[in-house]
Amino acid sequence: MAHVSVTGDTLTVEVEGLDRLWALKSRIEIPLRNIRGATADPGITREPKGLRAPGTHFPGVIVAGTFHRDGEKVFWDVKNPELAVVVELSDEKYTRLVVEVTDPRATVALIEQALRD
Amino acid sequence: MPTLTGMGRPRAFDEAETVRAAARLFADRGFDGTSVDDLVNGLGVHRGSLYKVFGSKRGLYLAALRHHLDHEILPLTAALAAVDHPGTALSRAATGFDGGPAAGLLLLAAAERAPHDPEVAALVTEGLTALERTLGDPALAPALVATVLGLRLRARAGGGTGADAALALTNQLKE
Repeated sequence: MAHVSVTGDTLTVEVEGLDRLWALKSRIEIPLRNIRGATADPGITREPKGLRAPGTHFPGVIVAGTFHRDGEKVFWDVKNPELAVVVELSDEKYTRLVVEVTDPRATVALIEQALRD
Repeated sequence: MPTLTGMGRPRAFDEAETVRAAARLFADRGFDGTSVDDLVNGLGVHRGSLYKVFGSKRGLYLAALRHHLDHEILPLTAALAAVDHPGTALSRAATGFDGGPAAGLLLLAAAERAPHDPEVAALVTEGLTALERTLGDPALAPALVATVLGLRLRARAGGGTGADAALALTNQLKE
């Protein structure tokens, strides 16, 4: 589970609890200008993830950490696919973030609103 | 011959065709009712490519609505501008872009997304304003466009096209 917040011109993703251990990362900060959009997407966890480095992948249990596939670098922190949100980035180390949040609809609205302001 | 670049594989799909097909899906099921899975399966495009090109489901939706305006609404209004009889113009507006299943996207966007999304609201306003301009009398046009939307909503629910009702209405108004 991750906590997504916006302060000023920055989106912050804080990985919570033990997921920090699995993801080997606790916090990601992205300037809003490098965010292209956000989408609630439960189906994405069924897609091939690629090679993890570093991170953890117990299929059906948790996907956490950095995964490489087709030249893309994706940060994952998802246990419950129903709560997955995809944040597409540009000019960043990661191509996109796929994180589990408490309320995907609210998180997507938060990011879209921040991009409009 | 396509070449590989440092940023991954070249786009392996026709963007315009993808947007057109997405407009059909969104027109059928709405924004919330169309999942990314529906788009990936219905459009035959990789999920990563969708995100890379459009940024989000909303990005694709905005492109689909823009496509609907440019390829269906605005050509229709241009054609209606040449129609002299207001009743004919009204009935054609109510039925004229029923030819394809994407016909309801403007209507659905107005009801579903426009109240929550200023960019969708702006596109909807553009489409409705274009329709208003073709329906003549500026004082009556908003009510006539509302009639067009209402008739289309009935048609969507299986209530016939409403062309006769549109004609009857304008005949009444002229008297």
